[in-house]
Amino acid sequence: MKKTLTVNLGGTVFHIDEDAYRLLDNYLCNLRLHFRRQEGAEEIVNDMETRISELFTEKLNGGLQVITIGEVEEIIARMGKPEDFDGDADEEPTSKGRTSGAGDSGTGSRSGSGASSSFRRRLYRDPDNKVLGGIASGIATYLDWDVTLVRVLFICLLFLPYCPMIILYIIAWIVIPEARTAAEKLSMRGEPITVENIGKTVTDGFERVATGVNDYMNSGKPRTFLQQLGDALVQLAGFILKACLVVLAIICSPIVFVLIIVFVVLVVAAVSLAIGGGAWLYHLLPMVDWAPLSAISPMLTVAGSMAGIALLGIPLLSIVYAVFRQTFHWSPMATGVKWTLVILWFVALIVFLVNLAELGWQLPLYGIHCV
Amino acid sequence: MYVDNVKSQMRKGMLEYCIMLLLHKEPAYASDIIQKLKEARLIVVEGTLYPLLTRLKNDDLLSYEWVESTQGPPRKYYKLTPKGEEFLSELEQSWRELSETVDHIANR
Repeated sequence: MKKTLTVNLGGTVFHIDEDAYRLLDNYLCNLRLHFRRQEGAEEIVNDMETRISELFTEKLNGGLQVITIGEVEEIIARMGKPEDFDGDADEEPTSKGRTSGAGDSGTGSRSGSGASSSFRRRLYRDPDNKVLGGIASGIATYLDWDVTLVRVLFICLLFLPYCPMIILYIIAWIVIPEARTAAEKLSMRGEPITVENIGKTVTDGFERVATGVNDYMNSGKPRTFLQQLGDALVQLAGFILKACLVVLAIICSPIVFVLIIVFVVLVVAAVSLAIGGGAWLYHLLPMVDWAPLSAISPMLTVAGSMAGIALLGIPLLSIVYAVFRQTFHWSPMATGVKWTLVILWFVALIVFLVNLAELGWQLPLYGIHCV
Repeated sequence: MYVDNVKSQMRKGMLEYCIMLLLHKEPAYASDIIQKLKEARLIVVEGTLYPLLTRLKNDDLLSYEWVESTQGPPRKYYKLTPKGEEFLSELEQSWRELSETVDHIANR
Protein backbone atom coordinates (compact mmCIF):
# COMPACT_ATOMS: atom_id res chain seq x y z
CA MET A 1 0.00 0.00 0.00
CA LYS A 2 1.28 3.46 -0.89
CA LYS A 3 0.12 6.95 -0.21
CA THR A 4 -0.79 8.92 -3.36
CA LEU A 5 -0.82 12.61 -4.09
CA THR A 6 -2.83 14.67 -6.51
CA VAL A 7 -0.75 16.94 -8.71
CA ASN A 8 -1.45 19.48 -11.40
CA LEU A 9 1.07 18.87 -14.14
CA GLY A 10 0.83 21.14 -17.15
CA GLY A 11 -2.85 21.80 -16.53
CA THR A 12 -3.96 18.19 -16.04
CA VAL A 13 -4.65 16.48 -12.75
CA PHE A 14 -2.87 13.23 -11.94
CA HIS A 15 -2.82 10.81 -9.08
CA ILE A 16 0.75 9.92 -8.34
CA ASP A 17 2.51 7.75 -5.78
CA GLU A 18 4.46 9.62 -3.17
CA ASP A 19 7.86 8.22 -4.14
CA ALA A 20 7.11 8.80 -7.82
CA TYR A 21 6.17 12.37 -6.97
CA ARG A 22 9.48 12.92 -5.19
CA LEU A 23 11.44 11.60 -8.14
CA LEU A 24 9.50 13.71 -10.64
CA ASP A 25 9.76 16.81 -8.48
CA ASN A 26 13.52 16.34 -8.22
CA TYR A 27 13.81 15.80 -11.93
CA LEU A 28 11.96 19.04 -12.65
CA CYS A 29 14.00 20.90 -10.05
CA ASN A 30 17.15 19.59 -11.65
CA LEU A 31 16.00 20.77 -15.05
CA ARG A 32 15.38 24.22 -13.60
CA LEU A 33 18.84 24.13 -12.06
CA HIS A 34 20.34 23.12 -15.36
CA PHE A 35 18.65 25.78 -17.46
CA ARG A 36 18.76 28.55 -14.89
CA ARG A 37 21.40 30.57 -16.75
CA GLN A 38 19.59 30.38 -20.06
CA GLU A 39 17.12 32.88 -21.30
CA GLY A 40 13.57 31.55 -21.01
CA ALA A 41 14.48 28.82 -18.53
CA GLU A 42 11.04 28.83 -16.98
CA GLU A 43 9.43 28.43 -20.38
CA ILE A 44 11.63 25.48 -21.32
CA VAL A 45 10.79 23.63 -18.13
CA ASN A 46 7.08 24.46 -18.45
CA ASP A 47 7.02 23.11 -21.98
CA MET A 48 8.73 19.94 -20.82
CA GLU A 49 6.20 19.67 -18.02
CA THR A 50 3.42 19.88 -20.58
CA ARG A 51 5.08 17.14 -22.60
CA ILE A 52 5.43 14.91 -19.55
CA SER A 53 1.78 15.45 -18.73
CA GLU A 54 0.88 14.49 -22.29
CA LEU A 55 2.87 11.29 -22.03
CA PHE A 56 1.20 10.47 -18.72
CA THR A 57 -2.21 11.03 -20.27
CA GLU A 58 -1.32 8.54 -22.99
CA LYS A 59 -0.37 6.04 -20.30
CA LEU A 60 -3.55 6.61 -18.36
CA ASN A 61 -5.64 6.03 -21.46
CA GLY A 62 -4.18 2.56 -21.38
CA GLY A 63 -6.22 1.86 -18.27
CA LEU A 64 -3.72 2.87 -15.62
CA GLN A 65 -5.07 4.80 -12.63
CA VAL A 66 -2.06 5.93 -10.69
CA ILE A 67 1.36 6.99 -11.84
CA THR A 68 4.01 4.88 -10.18
CA ILE A 69 7.75 5.28 -9.93
CA GLY A 70 8.20 2.96 -12.92
CA GLU A 71 6.34 5.38 -15.18
CA VAL A 72 8.34 8.33 -13.90
CA GLU A 73 11.62 6.52 -14.51
CA GLU A 74 10.48 5.66 -18.01
CA ILE A 75 9.57 9.29 -18.68
CA ILE A 76 12.92 10.50 -17.38
CA ALA A 77 14.72 8.06 -19.64
CA ARG A 78 12.63 9.30 -22.54
CA MET A 79 13.06 13.00 -21.87
CA GLY A 80 16.71 12.59 -21.01
CA LYS A 81 18.98 13.80 -18.26
CA PRO A 82 20.18 17.40 -18.24
CA GLU A 83 23.70 16.29 -19.19
CA ASP A 84 22.33 14.76 -22.38
CA PHE A 85 20.98 18.06 -23.64
CA ASP A 86 23.90 20.34 -24.23
CA GLY A 87 26.51 17.76 -24.97
CA ASP A 88 25.29 15.30 -27.51
CA ALA A 89 21.99 13.68 -28.21
CA ASP A 90 23.84 10.44 -28.49
CA GLU A 91 23.07 6.88 -27.63
CA GLU A 92 25.48 6.23 -24.77
CA PRO A 93 24.32 7.45 -21.43
CA THR A 94 27.38 5.72 -19.98
CA SER A 95 29.83 8.23 -21.42
CA LYS A 96 29.10 10.78 -18.77
CA GLY A 97 32.64 12.07 -18.41
CA ARG A 98 32.81 13.15 -22.00
CA THR A 99 29.35 14.64 -22.00
CA SER A 100 30.17 16.88 -19.11
CA GLY A 101 33.42 17.79 -20.82
CA ALA A 102 31.36 19.15 -23.67
CA GLY A 103 29.54 21.39 -21.22
CA ASP A 104 32.11 24.14 -21.76
CA SER A 105 29.50 26.06 -23.70
CA GLY A 106 29.06 28.07 -20.53
CA THR A 107 25.52 26.97 -19.78
CA GLY A 108 25.61 24.06 -17.39
CA SER A 109 29.08 24.78 -16.14
CA ARG A 110 28.19 24.26 -12.50
CA SER A 111 26.52 20.92 -13.01
CA GLY A 112 29.08 19.99 -15.64
CA SER A 113 32.03 20.50 -13.34
CA GLY A 114 30.17 18.64 -10.63
CA ALA A 115 29.71 15.62 -12.83
CA SER A 116 33.23 15.50 -14.22
CA SER A 117 34.91 15.72 -10.85
CA SER A 118 32.45 13.26 -9.47
CA PHE A 119 34.36 12.60 -6.29
CA ARG A 120 35.75 16.02 -5.52
CA ARG A 121 33.97 17.57 -2.62
CA ARG A 122 33.15 21.22 -2.41
CA LEU A 123 33.08 23.25 0.75
CA TYR A 124 29.62 24.39 1.76
CA ARG A 125 27.95 25.30 5.00
CA ASP A 126 25.72 22.44 5.99
CA PRO A 127 22.33 23.83 7.02
CA ASP A 128 20.99 20.49 8.17
CA ASN A 129 23.46 19.91 10.98
CA LYS A 130 24.20 23.45 11.96
CA VAL A 131 24.44 24.93 15.42
CA LEU A 132 25.35 28.47 14.41
CA GLY A 133 26.20 28.84 10.75
CA GLY A 134 26.84 25.26 9.76
CA ILE A 135 30.55 25.89 9.24
CA ALA A 136 31.84 23.19 11.55
CA SER A 137 29.53 20.61 10.02
CA GLY A 138 30.41 21.83 6.52
CA ILE A 139 34.12 21.50 7.19
CA ALA A 140 33.56 18.12 8.81
CA THR A 141 31.70 16.91 5.72
CA TYR A 142 34.39 18.33 3.50
CA LEU A 143 37.23 16.63 5.38
CA ASP A 144 35.16 13.58 6.21
CA TRP A 145 35.78 14.10 9.91
CA ASP A 146 33.43 13.77 12.80
CA VAL A 147 31.40 16.93 13.40
CA THR A 148 31.88 16.82 17.14
CA LEU A 149 35.65 16.68 16.70
CA VAL A 150 35.59 19.82 14.56
CA ARG A 151 33.37 21.59 17.07
CA VAL A 152 35.65 20.69 19.98
CA LEU A 153 38.61 21.93 17.95
CA PHE A 154 36.80 25.20 17.23
CA ILE A 155 36.02 25.73 20.89
CA CYS A 156 39.63 24.97 21.85
CA LEU A 157 40.82 27.50 19.29
CA LEU A 158 38.48 30.04 20.83
CA PHE A 159 40.54 30.01 24.04
CA LEU A 160 43.88 30.18 22.29
CA PRO A 161 45.50 33.60 22.66
CA TYR A 162 46.21 35.57 19.49
CA CYS A 163 43.71 33.55 17.50
CA PRO A 164 40.79 35.70 16.32
CA MET A 165 38.49 32.70 16.11
CA ILE A 166 35.26 34.69 16.30
CA ILE A 167 36.29 36.94 13.43
CA LEU A 168 37.51 33.97 11.39
CA TYR A 169 34.21 32.22 12.01
CA ILE A 170 32.20 35.23 10.89
CA ILE A 171 34.34 35.63 7.78
CA ALA A 172 33.88 31.95 6.99
CA TRP A 173 30.15 32.39 7.52
CA ILE A 174 30.06 35.20 4.98
CA VAL A 175 32.42 33.64 2.46
CA ILE A 176 31.35 29.99 2.40
CA PRO A 177 28.02 29.47 0.61
CA GLU A 178 25.23 27.46 2.17
CA ALA A 179 24.32 24.18 0.50
CA ARG A 180 20.68 24.75 -0.28
CA THR A 181 19.78 22.90 -3.46
CA ALA A 182 19.92 19.20 -4.05
CA ALA A 183 22.90 19.60 -6.35
CA GLU A 184 24.85 21.62 -3.82
CA LYS A 185 24.17 19.11 -1.10
CA LEU A 186 25.30 16.27 -3.32
CA SER A 187 28.50 18.05 -4.25
CA MET A 188 29.08 18.88 -0.60
CA ARG A 189 29.15 15.16 0.06
CA GLY A 190 31.23 14.55 -3.05
CA GLU A 191 28.57 12.58 -4.87
CA PRO A 192 28.13 13.13 -8.60
CA ILE A 193 25.13 15.23 -9.51
CA THR A 194 23.01 13.13 -11.79
CA VAL A 195 19.33 12.61 -11.95
CA GLU A 196 19.75 8.93 -11.16
CA ASN A 197 21.76 9.83 -8.11
CA ILE A 198 19.10 12.18 -6.88
CA GLY A 199 16.45 9.68 -7.81
CA LYS A 200 18.35 6.94 -5.99
CA THR A 201 18.71 8.98 -2.85
CA VAL A 202 15.02 9.69 -3.06
CA THR A 203 14.03 6.09 -3.43
CA ASP A 204 16.64 4.89 -0.97
CA GLY A 205 14.59 5.93 1.97
CA PHE A 206 12.96 8.81 3.70
CA GLU A 207 15.90 9.55 5.95
CA ARG A 208 18.07 10.74 3.07
CA VAL A 209 15.22 12.70 1.58
CA ALA A 210 14.76 14.55 4.81
CA THR A 211 18.45 15.39 5.02
CA GLY A 212 18.19 17.53 2.02
CA VAL A 213 17.93 16.03 -1.40
CA ASN A 214 14.87 18.13 -2.04
CA ASP A 215 15.36 21.54 -3.46
CA TYR A 216 15.38 24.23 -0.79
CA MET A 217 14.06 21.79 1.70
CA ASN A 218 15.09 22.15 5.29
CA SER A 219 15.91 19.16 7.33
CA GLY A 220 12.92 17.50 8.89
CA LYS A 221 15.11 16.16 11.67
CA PRO A 222 14.26 17.38 15.15
CA ARG A 223 16.72 19.98 16.38
CA THR A 224 18.71 19.22 19.49
CA PHE A 225 18.63 21.62 22.41
CA LEU A 226 22.08 22.96 21.52
CA GLN A 227 21.01 23.53 17.94
CA GLN A 228 17.83 25.30 19.07
CA LEU A 229 19.92 27.54 21.28
CA GLY A 230 22.17 28.27 18.30
CA ASP A 231 19.17 29.08 16.10
CA ALA A 232 17.80 31.51 18.67
CA LEU A 233 21.21 33.17 18.96
CA VAL A 234 21.51 33.53 15.19
CA GLN A 235 18.04 34.99 14.92
CA LEU A 236 18.75 37.47 17.70
CA ALA A 237 22.05 38.51 16.11
CA GLY A 238 20.37 38.92 12.74
CA PHE A 239 17.63 41.05 14.28
CA ILE A 240 20.12 43.28 16.10
CA LEU A 241 22.18 43.66 12.93
CA LYS A 242 19.11 44.66 10.94
CA ALA A 243 18.03 47.13 13.62
CA CYS A 244 21.52 48.65 13.64
CA LEU A 245 21.42 49.01 9.86
CA VAL A 246 18.06 50.75 9.97
CA VAL A 247 19.26 53.14 12.68
CA LEU A 248 22.43 53.79 10.72
CA ALA A 249 20.43 54.54 7.59
CA ILE A 250 18.19 56.96 9.47
CA ILE A 251 21.17 58.73 11.00
CA CYS A 252 23.05 58.80 7.74
CA SER A 253 20.35 60.11 5.43
CA PRO A 254 20.64 63.80 6.48
CA ILE A 255 24.42 63.51 6.44
CA VAL A 256 24.32 62.17 2.91
CA PHE A 257 21.98 64.97 1.93
CA VAL A 258 24.32 67.57 3.38
CA LEU A 259 27.26 65.89 1.67
CA ILE A 260 25.52 66.13 -1.67
CA ILE A 261 24.85 69.84 -1.18
CA VAL A 262 28.45 70.41 -0.13
CA PHE A 263 29.59 68.54 -3.19
CA VAL A 264 27.47 70.65 -5.54
CA VAL A 265 28.63 73.86 -3.87
CA LEU A 266 32.25 72.74 -4.11
CA VAL A 267 31.90 71.96 -7.80
CA VAL A 268 30.30 75.34 -8.49
CA ALA A 269 32.97 77.09 -6.46
CA ALA A 270 35.75 75.19 -8.20
CA VAL A 271 34.39 76.02 -11.63
CA SER A 272 33.98 79.71 -10.84
CA LEU A 273 37.43 79.75 -9.28
CA ALA A 274 38.87 78.16 -12.38
CA ILE A 275 37.26 80.78 -14.58
CA GLY A 276 37.59 84.02 -12.68
CA GLY A 277 39.17 83.08 -9.43
CA GLY A 278 42.60 84.46 -10.08
CA ALA A 279 41.51 88.06 -10.04
CA TRP A 280 39.43 87.50 -6.95
CA LEU A 281 42.31 85.88 -5.11
CA TYR A 282 44.51 88.75 -6.09
CA HIS A 283 41.99 91.15 -4.72
CA LEU A 284 41.43 89.18 -1.54
CA LEU A 285 45.02 88.60 -0.56
CA PRO A 286 46.95 91.73 -1.46
CA MET A 287 49.66 90.92 1.07
CA VAL A 288 50.80 87.87 -0.93
CA ASP A 289 53.37 88.60 -3.54
CA TRP A 290 51.79 87.33 -6.75
CA ALA A 291 54.72 88.28 -8.96
CA PRO A 292 56.09 84.75 -9.48
CA LEU A 293 52.62 83.52 -10.36
CA SER A 294 51.95 86.12 -13.00
CA ALA A 295 54.74 84.61 -15.02
CA ILE A 296 52.79 81.38 -15.36
CA SER A 297 50.74 81.01 -18.49
CA PRO A 298 46.97 81.20 -17.88
CA MET A 299 46.54 78.11 -20.03
CA LEU A 300 48.42 76.07 -17.47
CA THR A 301 46.38 77.42 -14.58
CA VAL A 302 43.09 76.63 -16.24
CA ALA A 303 44.25 73.13 -17.15
CA GLY A 304 45.50 72.59 -13.62
CA SER A 305 42.22 73.73 -12.12
CA MET A 306 40.20 71.51 -14.43
CA ALA A 307 42.44 68.57 -13.54
CA GLY A 308 42.00 69.35 -9.87
CA ILE A 309 38.22 69.36 -10.20
CA ALA A 310 38.27 66.04 -12.01
CA LEU A 311 40.74 64.63 -9.49
CA LEU A 312 38.39 65.34 -6.59
CA GLY A 313 35.12 65.24 -8.45
CA ILE A 314 35.30 61.78 -10.01
CA PRO A 315 35.79 59.89 -6.74
CA LEU A 316 33.14 62.07 -5.07
CA LEU A 317 30.77 61.43 -7.96
CA SER A 318 31.30 57.70 -7.76
CA ILE A 319 30.66 57.73 -4.00
CA VAL A 320 27.44 59.68 -4.51
CA TYR A 321 26.44 57.32 -7.30
CA ALA A 322 27.10 54.30 -5.11
CA VAL A 323 24.96 55.78 -2.33
CA PHE A 324 22.15 56.54 -4.77
CA ARG A 325 22.42 53.08 -6.24
CA GLN A 326 21.96 51.52 -2.82
CA THR A 327 19.02 53.72 -1.89
CA PHE A 328 17.12 53.79 -5.16
CA HIS A 329 18.20 50.44 -6.62
CA TRP A 330 19.77 51.98 -9.68
CA SER A 331 21.45 49.71 -12.13
CA PRO A 332 25.24 49.58 -11.76
CA MET A 333 27.31 51.92 -13.91
CA ALA A 334 28.04 50.62 -17.39
CA THR A 335 31.55 49.25 -17.79
CA GLY A 336 32.33 51.72 -20.57
CA VAL A 337 31.37 54.69 -18.41
CA LYS A 338 33.30 53.27 -15.49
CA TRP A 339 36.49 52.82 -17.48
CA THR A 340 36.14 56.22 -19.09
CA LEU A 341 35.92 57.77 -15.63
CA VAL A 342 38.94 55.81 -14.43
CA ILE A 343 40.98 56.88 -17.46
CA LEU A 344 39.81 60.47 -17.06
CA TRP A 345 40.87 60.41 -13.45
CA PHE A 346 44.33 59.18 -14.36
CA VAL A 347 44.65 61.83 -17.06
CA ALA A 348 43.59 64.44 -14.52
CA LEU A 349 46.13 63.10 -12.04
CA ILE A 350 48.92 63.32 -14.60
CA VAL A 351 47.94 66.82 -15.72
CA PHE A 352 47.69 67.94 -12.13
CA LEU A 353 51.10 66.52 -11.23
CA VAL A 354 52.72 68.00 -14.33
CA ASN A 355 51.14 71.30 -13.52
CA LEU A 356 52.33 71.17 -9.95
CA ALA A 357 55.84 70.31 -11.08
CA GLU A 358 55.74 73.19 -13.52
CA LEU A 359 54.60 75.65 -10.87
CA GLY A 360 57.13 74.32 -8.41
CA TRP A 361 56.14 71.99 -5.61
CA GLN A 362 56.77 74.48 -2.88
CA LEU A 363 54.54 77.15 -4.33
CA PRO A 364 52.01 77.46 -1.51
CA LEU A 365 54.78 77.68 1.04
CA TYR A 366 56.62 80.06 -1.19
CA GLY A 367 53.64 82.37 -1.33
CA ILE A 368 53.32 82.46 2.42
CA HIS A 369 57.01 83.07 2.88
CA CYS A 370 56.78 86.07 0.69
CA VAL A 371 54.39 87.90 2.98
CA MET B 1 34.69 8.05 -28.44
CA TYR B 2 36.16 10.74 -30.65
CA VAL B 3 34.24 9.41 -33.65
CA ASP B 4 30.99 9.61 -31.73
CA ASN B 5 31.76 13.14 -30.70
CA VAL B 6 32.29 14.20 -34.29
CA LYS B 7 29.06 12.51 -35.33
CA SER B 8 27.07 14.16 -32.61
CA GLN B 9 28.58 17.54 -33.45
CA MET B 10 27.47 17.14 -37.05
CA ARG B 11 24.01 16.11 -35.97
CA LYS B 12 23.73 19.00 -33.55
CA GLY B 13 24.48 21.52 -36.25
CA MET B 14 21.83 20.01 -38.48
CA LEU B 15 19.14 19.84 -35.83
CA GLU B 16 18.14 23.50 -35.99
CA TYR B 17 18.06 23.40 -39.76
CA CYS B 18 15.81 20.33 -39.73
CA ILE B 19 13.44 21.82 -37.17
CA MET B 20 13.08 24.92 -39.30
CA LEU B 21 12.54 22.82 -42.42
CA LEU B 22 9.76 20.94 -40.66
CA LEU B 23 8.11 24.16 -39.55
CA HIS B 24 8.47 25.64 -43.02
CA LYS B 25 6.00 23.07 -44.35
CA GLU B 26 3.37 23.61 -41.70
CA PRO B 27 3.03 24.92 -38.16
CA ALA B 28 3.46 22.17 -35.62
CA TYR B 29 3.49 21.67 -31.89
CA ALA B 30 6.37 20.26 -29.95
CA SER B 31 5.18 16.66 -29.80
CA ASP B 32 4.67 16.54 -33.59
CA ILE B 33 8.19 17.81 -34.10
CA ILE B 34 9.53 15.23 -31.66
CA GLN B 35 7.66 12.50 -33.49
CA LYS B 36 9.14 13.48 -36.84
CA LEU B 37 12.65 13.97 -35.52
CA LYS B 38 12.51 10.60 -33.83
CA GLU B 39 11.34 8.97 -37.06
CA ALA B 40 14.32 10.55 -38.76
CA ARG B 41 16.54 9.31 -35.90
CA LEU B 42 17.82 12.79 -35.32
CA ILE B 43 17.20 12.99 -31.59
CA VAL B 44 17.29 10.36 -28.92
CA VAL B 45 16.15 12.17 -25.79
CA GLU B 46 13.15 14.43 -26.16
CA GLY B 47 14.47 17.05 -23.78
CA THR B 48 16.97 18.20 -26.42
CA LEU B 49 14.25 19.88 -28.44
CA TYR B 50 12.81 22.29 -25.87
CA PRO B 51 15.85 24.47 -25.21
CA LEU B 52 16.34 24.69 -28.99
CA LEU B 53 12.78 25.80 -29.63
CA THR B 54 12.97 28.42 -26.92
CA ARG B 55 16.29 29.71 -28.22
CA LEU B 56 14.95 29.96 -31.78
CA LYS B 57 11.86 31.72 -30.46
CA ASN B 58 13.95 34.19 -28.45
CA ASP B 59 15.91 34.97 -31.60
CA ASP B 60 12.62 35.84 -33.34
CA LEU B 61 13.07 33.03 -35.83
CA LEU B 62 9.99 31.21 -34.55
CA SER B 63 6.73 32.34 -33.06
CA TYR B 64 3.93 30.36 -31.52
CA GLU B 65 0.24 30.59 -30.87
CA TRP B 66 -1.99 28.66 -28.53
CA VAL B 67 -4.41 26.34 -30.26
CA GLU B 68 -7.27 24.62 -28.43
CA SER B 69 -7.03 20.86 -28.45
CA THR B 70 -9.83 18.34 -28.33
CA GLN B 71 -7.84 16.25 -25.88
CA GLY B 72 -6.27 18.02 -22.96
CA PRO B 73 -4.97 21.55 -22.50
CA PRO B 74 -4.25 23.99 -25.35
CA ARG B 75 -1.09 23.44 -27.33
CA LYS B 76 1.66 25.73 -28.49
CA TYR B 77 1.86 25.66 -32.27
CA TYR B 78 5.20 26.90 -33.54
CA LYS B 79 5.68 28.50 -36.94
CA LEU B 80 8.44 30.35 -38.76
CA THR B 81 8.50 34.14 -38.65
CA PRO B 82 9.47 36.11 -41.80
CA LYS B 83 12.91 36.49 -40.26
CA GLY B 84 12.97 32.75 -39.75
CA GLU B 85 12.05 32.14 -43.41
CA GLU B 86 14.87 34.42 -44.44
CA PHE B 87 17.31 32.63 -42.17
CA LEU B 88 16.10 29.27 -43.46
CA SER B 89 16.84 30.23 -47.06
CA GLU B 90 20.32 31.31 -45.95
CA LEU B 91 20.73 27.96 -44.24
CA GLU B 92 19.52 26.17 -47.34
CA GLN B 93 22.12 28.03 -49.35
CA SER B 94 24.94 27.15 -46.99
CA TRP B 95 23.74 23.55 -46.73
CA ARG B 96 23.87 23.24 -50.51
CA GLU B 97 27.35 24.71 -50.54
CA LEU B 98 28.46 22.35 -47.83
CA SER B 99 27.11 19.27 -49.54
CA GLU B 100 28.65 20.39 -52.83
CA THR B 101 31.98 20.82 -51.12
CA VAL B 102 31.76 17.40 -49.55
CA ASP B 103 30.69 15.81 -52.86
CA HIS B 104 33.46 17.58 -54.63
CA ILE B 105 36.09 16.36 -52.22
CA ALA B 106 34.67 12.87 -51.99
CA ASN B 107 34.52 12.42 -55.77
CA ARG B 108 37.99 13.58 -56.56
